[in-house]
Amino acid sequence: MVDIVPLSSYPSYIDLLPAIQTCNITNLPENYFLKYYLYHALTWPQLSFVAVVRPRGGYKTATAGGPGAAGDVSGQYPKVVGYVLAKMEEEPSDGVQHGHITSLSVMRTHRRLGIAERLMRMSQRAMSESHRAHYVSLHVRMSNTAALRLYRDTLGFEVEKIESKYYADGEDAYAMHLNLQDQWLDWKAIEKKDRERAKAEKKKKGENAEEEEEEDDQDEGDEVGELGKKDAEKMIRVKVGRGLGVGDLVEKNEAQAQS
Amino acid sequence: MPQPLNSKDASLFRQVVRNFEMKQYKKGIKAAEQVLKKNPKHGDTQAMKALIMSHLGQPEEAFALAKEALRNDMKSHITWHVYGLLYRAEKNYEEAIKAYRFALRLEPESQPIQRDLALLQMQMRDYQGYIQSRSTMLQARPGFRQNWTALAIAHHLAGDLEEAQKVLTTYEDTLKDTQPVADMENSEAILYKNTIIAESGNLEKALEHLEEVGYRCTDVLAVMEMKADYLLRLDRKAEAEAAYTALLERNAENSIYYNGLIKAKGISEDDHKALKALYDEWVEKYPRGDAARRIPLDFLQGEEFKQAADTYMQRMLKKGVPSLFANIKHLYANPTKRDVVPTLVEGYISGKAPQSNGTAKANGDSNEFISSSYYFLAQHYNYHLSRDLPKATEYVDKAIELSPKAVEYQMTKARIWKHYGNPEKAAEEMEKARLLDDRDRYINSKAAKYQLRNNENDKGLDNMSKFTRNETVGGALGDLHEMQCVWFLTEDGEAFLRQKKLGLALKRFHSVYNIFETWQEDQFDFHSFSLRKGMIRAYVDMVRWEDRLREHPFYVRMAVSAVKAYLLLHDQPDLAHGPIPSGSNGLDASDESERKKALKKAKKEQQRLEKIEADKREARKAASATAKGADGEVKKEDQDPLGNTLVQTQEPLKDVLKFLTPLLELSSQNIEAQGLGFEVHLRRNKHLLAVKCLSAAHAIDPSNPTLHLQILRFRKALDSLSEPLPSQVAEVVNAEFDKLLPKSQKLEQWNESFLSSNKGSAAHVQAALDGRQILNPASKGQCEKDLLSTLDLPGISIDEAAAALDLLDKWDGDKAAYAQKASKKWPESSVFQLE
Repeated sequence: MVDIVPLSSYPSYIDLLPAIQTCNITNLPENYFLKYYLYHALTWPQLSFVAVVRPRGGYKTATAGGPGAAGDVSGQYPKVVGYVLAKMEEEPSDGVQHGHITSLSVMRTHRRLGIAERLMRMSQRAMSESHRAHYVSLHVRMSNTAALRLYRDTLGFEVEKIESKYYADGEDAYAMHLNLQDQWLDWKAIEKKDRERAKAEKKKKGENAEEEEEEDDQDEGDEVGELGKKDAEKMIRVKVGRGLGVGDLVEKNEAQAQS
Repeated sequence: MPQPLNSKDASLFRQVVRNFEMKQYKKGIKAAEQVLKKNPKHGDTQAMKALIMSHLGQPEEAFALAKEALRNDMKSHITWHVYGLLYRAEKNYEEAIKAYRFALRLEPESQPIQRDLALLQMQMRDYQGYIQSRSTMLQARPGFRQNWTALAIAHHLAGDLEEAQKVLTTYEDTLKDTQPVADMENSEAILYKNTIIAESGNLEKALEHLEEVGYRCTDVLAVMEMKADYLLRLDRKAEAEAAYTALLERNAENSIYYNGLIKAKGISEDDHKALKALYDEWVEKYPRGDAARRIPLDFLQGEEFKQAADTYMQRMLKKGVPSLFANIKHLYANPTKRDVVPTLVEGYISGKAPQSNGTAKANGDSNEFISSSYYFLAQHYNYHLSRDLPKATEYVDKAIELSPKAVEYQMTKARIWKHYGNPEKAAEEMEKARLLDDRDRYINSKAAKYQLRNNENDKGLDNMSKFTRNETVGGALGDLHEMQCVWFLTEDGEAFLRQKKLGLALKRFHSVYNIFETWQEDQFDFHSFSLRKGMIRAYVDMVRWEDRLREHPFYVRMAVSAVKAYLLLHDQPDLAHGPIPSGSNGLDASDESERKKALKKAKKEQQRLEKIEADKREARKAASATAKGADGEVKKEDQDPLGNTLVQTQEPLKDVLKFLTPLLELSSQNIEAQGLGFEVHLRRNKHLLAVKCLSAAHAIDPSNPTLHLQILRFRKALDSLSEPLPSQVAEVVNAEFDKLLPKSQKLEQWNESFLSSNKGSAAHVQAALDGRQILNPASKGQCEKDLLSTLDLPGISIDEAAAALDLLDKWDGDKAAYAQKASKKWPESSVFQLE
């Protein structure tokens, strides 16, 4: 039996990464070192999902009061038969916030169970909810009819263009995408709830406290955001003495990221 | 003593620093040399030059210069900082931390030094030091949220959950306005705080907090999961039920959610009717799903099971789902189910599908239905709990006849040969499967794996090379290293170990070991990166995972093999020169001249191979002077591709410890690991450690055959010590060992009683016979006879029988007789064909 579980949000099954890497290099010619998987898991923990074979006798349940009262995959190292590794495009060329499927594969022994579809739907939903992605993009080999059928017919992707010689062996790729705005969260409703709560809060506190609050407000808010940005840039620049930083990794693998 | 620079040189020095920061290394070196020309003893410049050199791949020269820089200027934070950075680059973290501390003492306000120190403290899990560093950094720049979060992480990981919460709350209180929904750093920090509250055990508070803030966190699934988990643990059943229902509506293919729902509803495990009804409901809601259809097969019994299994299997066979058997085999622990399943499928083939709605034949895909059914039965009879290999072959051939292009069918044929004990045929058949779809890497990987199982290392690699980037330094093998293809390296090493090519075996095992080192090192950049990204929960999980990285089955398997290789090397040092035919290294001393001859031959072969490798290296060098790896670094050619340096170690029992230690620490429940630990420590004369392993193994399985023999051997070892153990050690060892084997117990008697009470198990009998042989070498004839008769045991496996051959090797016994009888029992097997 195959379970579809999240990779690194809650619960976190980050110890599945080596088996995911093995699944990838067993199935596909486009491979990555573990750090690239880590980079996905730690930058967009909501977006990646794993298909694991439920162990004989099920999962252990959490020991006295720990998390995972209904079952806990971590430390069990079940067989990984599929995964979707996904990200948000960091510098979208069209300026539109969107997701990207870095890699997806299912062991051929576990095909026709709808695993790939399930993995994709989970990831798409998370992109939409967590990151307000306008759409998700991916590449697929033109010869891969099974994958094409899944993306186009089952999931509703459209071919955006053909990228010639996209793959290392010279094969062309379809660049496909799917609009995700229909699954966006209703932020207006959330903000409305925010305001209602704030109002209720203020009523409780009384008027004096209210004024003080406003003053403090103007001092801090902005500065934090601004400085935060500057600091981030600066930190990348002065980074010294480490072989292959995450920053390098990003640029490097962007070119070879493919599904 | 620091030398002051004149203003021109001082600005040149600043140029060097800038060059370094901008990664303009060559320019930097030039500028540094200009300064040094006039100020040859200027420590800071020397240090900067050294730092740049280390980035240009000259670590030794860099280190020498950095030391000189330090001698010239002990009072400069730059020379100390650089010194630390160089230590850091060669992963000597302790020394790096010391150097950073010196630098920081000289320049307490320096942010970069403080940060570098903090990163290393995190990497080294010096949480107290990290708390200190992070507190300082927070004081210097309290305006940044990440400085608060970092301090909270420090307290959290150090185990002070309350302080961690306090820090997070203090920051939150400075935010008077509600943060925008889009602020993911905020959303994450809030969820992070929530997990800390839950971890502290106060679930009520965690749930309350989650209700308060969860609606505005955009990681919707995480919030739902947390809520469901808390509610279930709080035993708030009705709400938990709703929470798990909501999760299932998002993803009905997760058995954990069903478990949660069932617990929440309080349905008893035995109430099959209620359980089935629950799952049926979800089948109706999501008719395309699998979980809700499959899970009931676990608990249903009798006629109910038969009916449900029938419906389930017919549906899957019609769809041609290749994983159907993999999905069903777990049920075979129950013998009734094991027997019902094949009768159902045999019924489909004969056209009398019982209880079937709409016969299979009416379906247009009847051909696929039938071939899927044959395929299923082939797997059924190939499975160890229902094995009948001739039947399996019959069915797989029928399936192949109907669908000659089906890769899976042909794969199963190969697997059947594997179970016949014929790796050669298995590899051949798997190669046929590969040729059916040579563009698919999965089947390519399988074919390579089967070739490795047949000790065909070159062929296996050649197959792999069809999907690797062969322009990588080191060719296909280089790419497999770079892409951290652990499975291949491990299998390759194990194949070499079986052939007693210990150099290459160790080479591969060390490669995998180094990959784990890299994986551990990989976390370093995330100590700063994750703080910037704000995805704290995932980061903390990663840190905790890294601490148990080597409990991974990939590590365990490799390390077990590596320890075996080192033990073999220690016991048969001649193997350092290559494989030597078995027997010539045996106990028979009269063979000394034979041994020397074999050794000479092996050495010659070793030199020949070395020459070939060296030539290849030269050829490659000529072909491409500047091959680059995937990470853009210029990769150096491996100077010892055959592992000769590794295998020619003077201290195999010391080298083995780096593999063994994590094994014993993180996989202490693995009895094989404990057994190997014993073997190593006994050879090292570390009796205390050896007995510790025995005790641990005993706690896992007191009747384990390997353990039995080891206990026996340990008693013998204690009885024949060349010099007595120090009295304190002896006391502890004896006390521990007495619990496993009381002093008063006579070994012979103890061993024979083990034999008679385990006479049904080949592995146990072998261990006891080996014990008898040790206690009384004159019993050899009887031992051989008894060993031969284990072949009549109904449960004996091919692997167990093959192990008997090794035993006979050790005894210098009659292998031919044993092999002959085994060949009769397993005529298809190749393991008993002695050359």
